[in-house]
Amino acid sequence: MASILETAASVGVFNTLLAAVDAAGLRGALEGPGPFTVFAPVDDAFAALPPGTVQTLVDNPPQLARILKYHVLSGAYSREQLVAEENWDSLEGAPIPIRSQDPFEVKNATVVTADVVCDNGVVHVIDRVILPG
Amino acid sequence: MSATVASERIKAPLIPPSTHRYADVIHRLEAGGSMLPDTPENLKQIIGIYKAYAVPMDFYWRDLLYIAERVFLNPLPAFKYFISQEYLDRPNSYAGDQSPLRIWRGGEKAHPELLEFMERGETGRMPKLLHHLWHDRVNMEFAEACMQAMLWHQGMGGRFNDYLESDAYRANADRAIKAYFKGNPLMLGLYALFPEMFLEQVRQLSYYSNLGLFWEVMAPVFFEMSDLYDEGKLTSVPEAMDFLVNGIFAVAGRPIYHHLYIGDECYEIIPKSEGFTWLYEAALPYVEAVFYRTSPFRGTKSYNAQAAQVPADQADFHYGILYADVFPVGSAGIPPTLLMQDMLHFLPPYLKEIYREHKRGEEDELIQLGITFQRSMYNVTSAVIQALRCALLYPLDDTNPEHLMANRRFFEAQMDRFLRPEARLSDIQSQDYR
Amino acid sequence: MDLFLLLLIPLLAGVLLPLLPAASPWLRRGALAAALLQLLDGLWLWQHPPAGVSTSWLPRLGLRLELGLDGLTLPLVLLAALLTAMAVMASPLDQSRPRLFFPLLLATNLGLIGAFLARNALLFLLAYELILIPTTLLVATWGGERRAGAAIRFLTYGAVSGVALLAAVLALGWLQPGGLNFSYTALADHNLSVGQQRWILALVLLAFGLKLPVVPLHGWQPMTYSQAPTSVAMLMSGVVSKLGAYGLLRFGLEFLPDAWSAWSPWLAAVGAISAIYGALNAIVQMEMRRLVAYSSLGHMGMLLLALAAATPLSLQGVIAQMLAHGLIIALLFCLVGLIELRTGTSTIPELSGLLNPQRGLPFTLGLMLLALMAAAGVPGLAGFVAELLVFEGSWVAFPWPTLVCLLASGLTAVYAIRLFNRVGFGRLDNDRADWVSTSWAERTPALVLTALVLVAGLWPSMLTGFSETATAPLALRSSDAVTVIAMAPANLNSPNLNPAQLPA
Repeated sequence: MASILETAASVGVFNTLLAAVDAAGLRGALEGPGPFTVFAPVDDAFAALPPGTVQTLVDNPPQLARILKYHVLSGAYSREQLVAEENWDSLEGAPIPIRSQDPFEVKNATVVTADVVCDNGVVHVIDRVILPG
Repeated sequence: MSATVASERIKAPLIPPSTHRYADVIHRLEAGGSMLPDTPENLKQIIGIYKAYAVPMDFYWRDLLYIAERVFLNPLPAFKYFISQEYLDRPNSYAGDQSPLRIWRGGEKAHPELLEFMERGETGRMPKLLHHLWHDRVNMEFAEACMQAMLWHQGMGGRFNDYLESDAYRANADRAIKAYFKGNPLMLGLYALFPEMFLEQVRQLSYYSNLGLFWEVMAPVFFEMSDLYDEGKLTSVPEAMDFLVNGIFAVAGRPIYHHLYIGDECYEIIPKSEGFTWLYEAALPYVEAVFYRTSPFRGTKSYNAQAAQVPADQADFHYGILYADVFPVGSAGIPPTLLMQDMLHFLPPYLKEIYREHKRGEEDELIQLGITFQRSMYNVTSAVIQALRCALLYPLDDTNPEHLMANRRFFEAQMDRFLRPEARLSDIQSQDYR
Repeated sequence: MDLFLLLLIPLLAGVLLPLLPAASPWLRRGALAAALLQLLDGLWLWQHPPAGVSTSWLPRLGLRLELGLDGLTLPLVLLAALLTAMAVMASPLDQSRPRLFFPLLLATNLGLIGAFLARNALLFLLAYELILIPTTLLVATWGGERRAGAAIRFLTYGAVSGVALLAAVLALGWLQPGGLNFSYTALADHNLSVGQQRWILALVLLAFGLKLPVVPLHGWQPMTYSQAPTSVAMLMSGVVSKLGAYGLLRFGLEFLPDAWSAWSPWLAAVGAISAIYGALNAIVQMEMRRLVAYSSLGHMGMLLLALAAATPLSLQGVIAQMLAHGLIIALLFCLVGLIELRTGTSTIPELSGLLNPQRGLPFTLGLMLLALMAAAGVPGLAGFVAELLVFEGSWVAFPWPTLVCLLASGLTAVYAIRLFNRVGFGRLDNDRADWVSTSWAERTPALVLTALVLVAGLWPSMLTGFSETATAPLALRSSDAVTVIAMAPANLNSPNLNPAQLPA
């Protein structure tokens, strides 16, 4: 199996995400042993944000890192494990609510593909960028 | 993400209508509108007042940063409003040719109308000191009152306040204080005796910086809206609100920091690397502290605890512009009055025309523009609400009824805050409220 | 001839004005011009004292046309002319039925001037009765909601007053030996016994007590003053009530001195009671006009106290109080009328925050503050001068009633502050504040009266200067007072003491 980032790169719909990870300087962390659970927004999710949002974040790595860290949990959790709890603490610190019944939703994003297992964790693909608050 | 709606949805509503007291407003919000009704009259009023607000705001943000970064812990800051030319020329990060994310097509330095007013005021050309003593100047005290509201209310979301209590901040502040008072044994001695006092002052100055960075964004946003309206490109209140929503998102990731400059050296008291964002650490606390809560104005409420006029719970405070009764607020020494006085100097001609034709004409301009300002701030609050919905909830044209109900619950929770009798939400629905 | 002019001006104006078309602005201007002309004439007569007029009119009735102007009546004539002018200016610009309204005001003015100028008791009576009709019509036609009841009550009380005065005057005339002679000089020189004097004085007190009014004869006053239109209230409270004081001075003090001095302790007590009653009632009033009416009642009580004491100083106080109170009360009614015109109500609970500089009535309320301070007797304004003279003059004669009146004077501050606090301060209701600010034309009467009140406060001889020589002889008539003065430490403030009366 490949690492989280390698898996993401191979799929082809995470270009914005990967660029963001590089800009935020989180590549090293996400290449590590982890394990991590990553909620990965697709490119369309970033495009759906109002113009300039992503640019401002990319220009400010610490702020971007904070948003990205909100998409990561420490530990690898599958879907069944995730839906068992209502809230999970992200790496950023703020909690992420998980919907307990079908469909599988993470905060206000729907999980498009769940349980993509990688070397150092699990990836769930989501259709929106989630934000703390 | 634009909040306009697909027309198909109106034909077949997916969820039943709301039964909230403000159901009309909620339905309008769900349709992508604002809490303020969409009429040309409303649009004209709010755009005019945005422009009138933006000019003094241009001074506020520059002077706030000047105080936070230069004046700092000056024990006798008699000249803190005497902003240096460097800060008047400080380029706005969102206006001018050099801006990486240009919101306003205008220049990056202080607005020419502001400079003209600083030169002449209401009385005429005088030395700056005389203008200052005669109080014929921009009322910076209003900005400081807003800052104090944010400082005092503290925990309104975001990480800013927690950081101010942390050891890292304490260490940064300590270094900054020592550097600032280098060679001043008296102040250093006082600092040794009362470190907490100095630390609290530095916290206050961090809020100066916070507010300054917040308003640095809002000023070009308002200027651009005024320009678009003058060109005929802004034609409805929801469009104005959408512009604000897009602006909020575009700048959401802006870092909030506090840098001290002693000479040319920079001391980072709150470094950018802490990751504080404009949206979470500046905008949302500002809206909560200044639009909703603020503090009871002396003379209008009794501070006597036995009188129980001031709520015991800070979250119950309802003295912000959204709840303001503009009449008593139009009295001396009440901070929003200072802003109203400032806005009076920069009203665009079409707004002056509207005021001249109504009731007492120019005599009660201050009250009329105060009410207009209230309307405009309801529009800004609507933009914040829509932006939050966009960020944390679902699109307005979502087809999933559960999502729509989640949106509905969110809007209703927001409207619950306006159920109290002091709220002006029902007043602004009518054009008669002037 | 000059005295006739004073009477002729309102007469002619009153007769000619109804000939103008109903909507003509000259109706108002003509009435104003007549009043101002009369005022100018009065001022001219002040500088050029006229000879008295004495011609035969109806000799079989003893009615001679005897007119004269002395130091006592000159200020009252000027006050009447001034307040008529102010009343005309204070009437609304869209006054209804002006062809009737202004002539009626002028008729009231005519009666007042006639009463003040008369030197013959029957002539005085004639003028006195004459005033009753136009004032009743004014209240009945242009008054407030309950004007019918107010007018009837006023008429009834006024009629009783007239009948009592008629009886008194006739008695004074008939009881004299040597034929029917009603002229003042003859009446002043009579030789009636104290018993006879007492009967006549009872009638005189009834008549003028109803006019002043004093407690317990005041039943008509609060209702009539509150229902009367602003101009009429100004005139009635400002001058017509002073007719009662003048009558007491002339008919009571001057013509019946022995009975007066015998009854003066009771009169002083009645004055004190009236003062306290007026002040206490004013404190609880919910309606501005009634509050001012009770305030007037209180001040008239002080006036009666000074009349009862009848020392030279207190009589100067009487004149000063008549003038000062006339100005102040007219000013108060004028301002209350202005507030009602703009806000639509004169009920205190419905008003607040009128001092708001943007949407309130700051100018009007500013003047009202001065007016209320003057009514309360704050130094620097006319009320203080008058009250000082009254109290200082009455203290030597009747210390306890004077103390009570002092207390009442203190209570005036209570209702003054209460009124101003409720109406001026507080929160202005945005939904109701849809009036325009007052124009300079509307402000003029209040402004003129305020200026006079201020000037009189700073230059007291404006109030007393006319009348010192006229009132002092009256005082000496009251035998008790002379004794009291002689016993008290030499009152160096009283310049008109007959040297023979000073303690040896």
